[in-house]
Order: sequence, then structure tokens, then C-alpha cells
Amino acid sequence: MGNGKQTSARKKRIINDTIVHIVLAILAIIWVFPIVWVVLTSFRAEKGSYVSTFLPQGYTIDNYTRLFTDTTILNFPKMFGNTLFIAICSCLLSTFYVLAVSYCLSRLRFKMRKPYMNLAMVLGLFPGFMSMVAVYFILKALGLSEGGLIRLALILCYSGGAGLGFQIAKGFFDTIPVAIDEAALIDGCTRWQIFWKITLPLSKPMVVYTILTAFIGPWVDFIFAKVICRANADYYTVAIGLWRMLEKEYIDSWYTCFAAGAVLISIPIAALFLFLQRYYVDGMSGAVKG
Amino acid sequence: MKRRLVILMAMLITCFISGCSSNGQSSSGDGVENIRLMVWAPSEDQSKDSGEWLRKCCEAFAEQHKEYNIHFIYGVADEATAASTVAQDPESSADVFMYANDNLTVLKDAKAAAKFGGIYEQEIVDTNSETIVNSLRSDGYLYGVPFTTNTWYMFYDKSVFSEDDIKNLDTMLERGVVSFPFTNSWYLPSFYVGNGCTLFEDGTVEEAGVDFAGEKAEAVTDYLIDLMANPNFVVDADGSGMAGLRDGSIQAIFTGSWDAGSIKEILGDNMGVAALPMYTLNGEEKQMLSYAGSKAIGVNATSKHMVAAIQLAIYLGSAEAQRLHYELRNVVPCNTELLMDETIASDMLVTAQNDTFNRTSILQPFVSAMSNCWTPVENMGKGIRNKTVTHENAKEQTQAMNDAMNSSGI
Repeated sequence: MGNGKQTSARKKRIINDTIVHIVLAILAIIWVFPIVWVVLTSFRAEKGSYVSTFLPQGYTIDNYTRLFTDTTILNFPKMFGNTLFIAICSCLLSTFYVLAVSYCLSRLRFKMRKPYMNLAMVLGLFPGFMSMVAVYFILKALGLSEGGLIRLALILCYSGGAGLGFQIAKGFFDTIPVAIDEAALIDGCTRWQIFWKITLPLSKPMVVYTILTAFIGPWVDFIFAKVICRANADYYTVAIGLWRMLEKEYIDSWYTCFAAGAVLISIPIAALFLFLQRYYVDGMSGAVKG
Repeated sequence: MKRRLVILMAMLITCFISGCSSNGQSSSGDGVENIRLMVWAPSEDQSKDSGEWLRKCCEAFAEQHKEYNIHFIYGVADEATAASTVAQDPESSADVFMYANDNLTVLKDAKAAAKFGGIYEQEIVDTNSETIVNSLRSDGYLYGVPFTTNTWYMFYDKSVFSEDDIKNLDTMLERGVVSFPFTNSWYLPSFYVGNGCTLFEDGTVEEAGVDFAGEKAEAVTDYLIDLMANPNFVVDADGSGMAGLRDGSIQAIFTGSWDAGSIKEILGDNMGVAALPMYTLNGEEKQMLSYAGSKAIGVNATSKHMVAAIQLAIYLGSAEAQRLHYELRNVVPCNTELLMDETIASDMLVTAQNDTFNRTSILQPFVSAMSNCWTPVENMGKGIRNKTVTHENAKEQTQAMNDAMNSSGI
């Protein structure tokens, strides 16, 4: 009798598990579907933007080679280089801004602290591109809207406002016990040393998160790049390049290359994530005994 | 300390600002003027693979005008987007640029387009057809030098359709499969306009509004519902027409010169190009009429070297430059003398495009209210495709489309 009950419980569990796994599998397929499609399209041998079959009839890597060799009309390697340079610079700058601002707001007490946080909150409610036109004219007045300085202009654009996005990092710093800071102060640390040598090593997951978001922002941005680059094709970023591939003059011959480009731009993000993933372990372990 | 910093900052900023505006002209002793001209054109005009049309033309221009010592600065902006980029900030935009005429209002609103007058206007009028010159006129002023027409027409497989078949869409549908961008509002109005519907009278009277109502429009909606039900009629969306042409399931599509290269590759010698066919509405033949426009070379109204810029624009739109454009990139010329040239006149694509422009098209209106006209027509196309517009409600739906086209939606 008891044995029978056990088997039926086991059966029930197996049925439950099967249902859950089937649902999860369906969801996973739906989720992965578009990505698989883009990857397949990037290897598709038939030309054109529309095909009647899901699986390509033929496979080729020409789409990738064309991206890097056919550079007279759309210079993809150059755009890729531009974007990488801009994204890395603004990533470093904005990561520093975000972490420094968060640390100050979390640890220091000063008169403007509360008003600043409120102000940042209100400013954060407006979408960034609202200021686009003003930003363009300021950059133009500073002479940054032409030639090689466009890169600097874009870096400034992407990193300049980063300090307003301190909320998540500040929340994280708030969870690190102040006692650690006090102990360090007694041992003679300066504020900078506490930030650099104690808080940051304890906040690796937060640092990783900040780096990732700070990199992805400029890496995929279209609006600011379009407004600031205008007709200076030498400084186009990949977002503009990919957009141009879908214009009516290019779409038929460039569509598969567009998919190849889409696959390529996901590589740096994926690589960065894989590299930083190991720091996603709990940064606090071992810091406080108890 | 702080105050000193502020003063320093202010000085720096003023330096920057004055720095960018101090690129004025200078002339050397022998009467040669040193000037800097910024020119924007699509990237194909500047690519080595397609012969660097822009650079060649600019150098030829400099050669002809020894009175200037020109430093050219090239930028990339295609005709469809150049106008909005120039309008964003005319002062730091190109002196000479290329734009599609439906963007003329954008340029005018930003006061960015220079007017052509006097001998320059005369030269443009003398070398172009009246229709194309009118496509660049607004309030009586001329705003550019046309260099090609911009419209769509029919590409078909000669082995399927004969010269007689292509005169009528319904005959074509009996012989083979035809694909049409039914849900694209640049294409669909051709049926309505063909049956006497009008947009802003002749396209210039904004107050007149759109007349896509009444029996003439309802009849077309009914025709389109039947057309959609025809198994030989396929909607062309997201490039499906081209894909069908490639795999042989479709034998005729409607598009423009930008797809000519790919179609030539697919159909080879069987490629046929023709102006729009007629369609049979209740026993009567009606001519489909496409929207047509032009592409032109415009001059920035804030240019510091206006005379040189206008002369360059005229040169870039001249017969000589158009011939080179045609040879290098197959850009269909519009200069009337050039069109008489034998090699050009015998080109199928040129003939079809100009035939469409002269005979089976209307000038695409560029009054501001035109911007309300795109979505309602697109929705009509989608409604018919999805079978939500039927013979029963065709009357109300057509009226609703007309109302929407005549209102700004606010």
C-alpha cells in the first residue's frame, strides 16, 4: 500500500516535471528563435531581404567577408572601429563617474546631498534625447561637431550624464557596513583609499554591472550618433551603418550582410559579459566575519 | 580662485566659438579667390567602385573656373535624408547638396534652400521639361537643378508577357503572376488617382484638400477588393516581390530604378521595363498614375560663396555631368538634349522612367498637408489585404479614408 503511494507520488512528480520542462522548452524556443534566425540569415547564400523558407537554401560566409572587403560604399570595419573606440572610452569614463558619485552619496554627508539626489531623480524622468538639439548646438559652439573631434563629442555625450544614474550603485554601497570604512579611517586611510582599496573590491558585482551597462549604451546608440555625425561618413558608428543597409537602395543586396553585421556587434558585448561573469560571485564573502 | 576659473572658462568658450566662424575667404594677389565649398552626395557618387562621379565633376568644375581656388570638402548624405540634415543646422551644412523634391518644404521651412534666378533659372528652364522644373518650384521660385526623375514603374518577364499584355493589368493577371506593393502608400493611390481622385487640385493648392471620396473612389475600392481575391495577384511587402521574381513564382513587379540592377541579374535578357499599365474598371480602361518627383541639386541659402555654389550646382546638373552619372551609375538623365542622344534614348530603363514621368504619373504633391495622406491609404491597403474592408463596407471605409486624409489627426 505504502509502496503504491510512493509510486503514484513519483509518477505525479514526473508528470509535473515533464509539463514544466515542455513549457520551458517552448518558451526557450520562442526566445531563441529570432536570434537563430538572424544567425542563419547571416550565413544565407540567397540574396534579397525576403525568402519563402525558414532555413536558407545555401550557406556561405561571403556576407561576412563582404562586410570587411566591400568598403567603398559602407565602410563597416571603420564604423566598427569607431564604435569600439567610443564605447570603450565612454565605458571607462561613465563607470568611474557612476561609482564615484554613488560612493559620495552613500558615504559622505554634505549640504547639497538630498537636493542633488532629488534633482537627479527629476532629471532622470526626462528621456535623454530631449536635450539632443541643445547638445548638438553646444558641441557645435565648442567646435566639436566636425572632423576627428566628433569622436570626442560622442564620448562626452555618452559619459557626461552618467553621474545621474547612481541609484543602483548607491543602493549597493549602502549595504556595505560603514564599520568597515570606520576601521579603515582609524587605520589612517583617506576617503579615496577607502573607495579604491576597500569599497570597490567589495562591490565587484556592482562594478561589473556598471561596466556592462556603460558599454552597451554607446555601443548600440543610434540617435545621438545620427544627430552628431550628420554627413561625416568617416565617423559613422555601426548603428548608423546597419540602419543605412536597410534603406531602399541597399536593402536587396545588403540584407544578409546586415544580419552578419548584427551578429558581429553582439560579439564584443558577449565577450565582455563572459569575461566579467566570474566576478558576479558574492563580493561580500569573507569581508565581514560573523 | 573660483572667479578666475569662471573667467578662464568664458574666455575658452569664446575662443572656440570665434574659432569656428573665422574661416572667411582670402584672395591671393592675382585675383584668384580662395574658397572652401562643402558638397554632400550619396556614398555611391563618391565610391571608387562606381567611378567617383562627384570628385570627377568637382575637379572638372574647378578646371573650368580658374577664378576660384576651390578647396572641396565632401560629405555623405543621400537624397532622401539630405534635406532634413541640412534643415537641422543650415549654417554648418554643405554649400551644395542633393535632395529629393518631396523634401522641398522641409528645406523651405528651415530657410535653407537658395533660390535660383536670372540667367541660372533660364538655363535650368531651357534644358529641362516643364513638369520637372515645376517639381522644384514653390511660390513661383525655383529651388534646385534637377538631375533625375524619381518614380516607380513596372518590371516584367518578357518571356511571359507580350508587348500587348503589358498595356492592361487585368490582361497581365490572366497570363502570369503580378506582385504589387499593395500596402505601401507610395504605390496604392495610383489606382485612385487613375479614376479621377485628386490631391490638392494639381498638387499645389493646400486649401483644396484631398478628394478620394464619392463614387469614383468607391468603385476603385471595389476593384481593389476583387484584385486582392485574384489568385494571380500577390502583395509585395518587405521584399517578397523581389524574392518571388528570384524563385520564379512572380513574373512582374512594380518598383524603381534602384532595383533595376538586381532585376537585370535575375531576368537577364528577359527583363522588360515599361510605364504603368491600365486597369479595367467596370468595363472601362483607366490609366494607373504613380507619384513622381525629381532629385535635384540644391544650394544652401547660408552659403558664404553663393555664386560659386550656384555655378557648381548648375554644373553638377548639366548635360555633361548627367551623362557621366548615367555612364558610371546608370542614373537616368533628365536633360532634354541628353535624352535625344541615341545610346541614351535606346536604353529601356531610361525610356520607361521618362515615359512614366511624362505619361503615367502625377507630380507628387509637396504641400505640408500631404503628410496626412500616407497612413490612411496604407491602412486601406492593409484592410483590403486582411479582408476587413469588404464590398459591404467599401463605401464607409472609402469615406473614412478620405476624411482621415483631410484631417491632421489633432
